[in-house]
Amino acid sequence: MIGPMEIMIGITALAALFSTAATYLAVTEKDLVKAVIYSAIQSTIYAFIYYMLMAPDIVLVYIPVAVGLYPAVILVLIRKTERWEKD
Amino acid sequence: MDAFWNVFLWGYIYSTVIAIIALTVYGMATRPHLVKKLILLSILSDTANLLAVMIGMRKGFIKPPVFPGISYTNHPVANTTQLAKFADTAVDPVPQVLVVTAIVIGLAVLVFLGYVLILLYQKYGTLDVRLLEAKITGKGGKK
Repeated sequence: MIGPMEIMIGITALAALFSTAATYLAVTEKDLVKAVIYSAIQSTIYAFIYYMLMAPDIVLVYIPVAVGLYPAVILVLIRKTERWEKD
Repeated sequence: MDAFWNVFLWGYIYSTVIAIIALTVYGMATRPHLVKKLILLSILSDTANLLAVMIGMRKGFIKPPVFPGISYTNHPVANTTQLAKFADTAVDPVPQVLVVTAIVIGLAVLVFLGYVLILLYQKYGTLDVRLLEAKITGKGGKK
């Protein structure tokens, strides 16, 4: 019998898989702007996982900080420095 | 069957989180650009926070740690039975409080490190660690 707890854990497991993929793309990407976007996608998935793990207060803090402010600060940093990572 | 799926899925989630930690540490060790290292550092701190919240989550504890039945206009002192029932179903709130603090501190650290990186770029004209090593020490690094 599949209850709400099992469905919740299953959705969390799926989201964890997607966040692993987003992290891998952020590690291998040479364009830093794209890497920041992958990092923001990964943060969105993490916010979803926090919601699934019964932490709505963390979601309220995490969405503006990790999806909004982190990429904004790093994008300003890239604009003031350089964009491409060379081999 | 239920127990098997619970154990399997929780083990799977923990192993993906540990895989993300390994990926970010690998990226921070091998990628040469300092901004990339900063991005991976933010992912690493988020993953550590997620691990803390997952430790506070136990089987059968399926409610957020918000005590029901209290409003601004009507706030009676809860009786012990009500409190015990609430504590039997709510997740552990202590890791969540610590994580909320850690997220904000992480933002402050990120802004400080970004400022340091801007100063480095203004002085040396690059953020590649191999070129930085060559420029600072005058030897080694990428030609």
